[in-house]
Amino acid sequence: MGELRVGTCPMGTIGLGSCIALILHDQRRSLAGLAHIMLPESHGNTDRPGKFADTAISVLLEEMEKFGSTKFSIAAIVVGGAKMFQFSADSLNIGERNAAVVKDLLQEQGIRIEYEEIGGKVGRSVYYWPEKKGRLIIKRADGTCIAL
Amino acid sequence: MELDAIQKDALAEFGNIGAAHAATTLSQMLMSPIEMTVPEVQAVDIAELHNYISNEISAVVVFQIQGEVADGGYIVVSMPRETVIQLTNRMLGTTDADREINEMDQSAAIEIGNIMISAFLDATAELLDIVMLPSPPALAIDMAHAAFESIIAQMAGDVNDVLIFNTELTSEAPPVYGGIYLLPNAELMQQLFLMLKRLMEPLP
Repeated sequence: MGELRVGTCPMGTIGLGSCIALILHDQRRSLAGLAHIMLPESHGNTDRPGKFADTAISVLLEEMEKFGSTKFSIAAIVVGGAKMFQFSADSLNIGERNAAVVKDLLQEQGIRIEYEEIGGKVGRSVYYWPEKKGRLIIKRADGTCIAL
Repeated sequence: MELDAIQKDALAEFGNIGAAHAATTLSQMLMSPIEMTVPEVQAVDIAELHNYISNEISAVVVFQIQGEVADGGYIVVSMPRETVIQLTNRMLGTTDADREINEMDQSAAIEIGNIMISAFLDATAELLDIVMLPSPPALAIDMAHAAFESIIAQMAGDVNDVLIFNTELTSEAPPVYGGIYLLPNAELMQQLFLMLKRLMEPLP
């Protein structure tokens, strides 16, 4: 939680609830970055960029640009942002807000969203293999599983 | 966040009293003995949380701690799916253990959580001589880690680690297994340290 990684090796994150797994993928370089975002805004907090939507996106892009990626060659996958708790005051359901901010920021950066699976009420685990076109597996807590 | 040995001991003792009351209550409800581990207190980095909270499908019942400690953090009862089904069966006298979680299981999980956590907070609040009350419960039937994540996102905006009190409850018949987690926020934690320190001072 709150971490980010950029590279060519497989990456993943388990037990995603209200958090967002943001994957940026550069097909041409078989390079990807994944951030496990917890909250929408960093409010100037920079010690753990993967934790917040605004810092996660800029740091992922920076890291990928170091490997030669450009914004135009990058597409995004956005998964998570579930509403986990029934009967709760909205304070526990930060997921929706997380998802909205991530999507806004991607649009601002002009990054196309290739696939999104946002909201709902189930937790998810996400695995990504950056080679070639990229391979995505999402396992949902209700037992269903999708592979792309 | 570093805890010294005395703080750890004090917090573990605090958790021990709360969890013991919760376990007694559960044991009375089920009319069978419940074993309990000594609570472990750990400051866990949010990136390491998956090492402490499983990804098993569980009923996670969460309460915000209210009362004199405003928004004191959260207290959670987490029970794996099988345990919830066992508990409902036990309370309703039914036997079908091989089924999906239904509405009855959900309300049983909430009710059990409610009773246990009320006992936990009653006992610990009395010890500290303050009022601590649980908020109405919220429930998730999901991967435990995914549910905890949403709770911790509410707490860890400014910090990167959370204090977890973890107590495991087990029983032979019916096979029950579950845990109580207390996730105090920074203010409640400071308050706890102060009050516990005062309790440990020799009488004048």
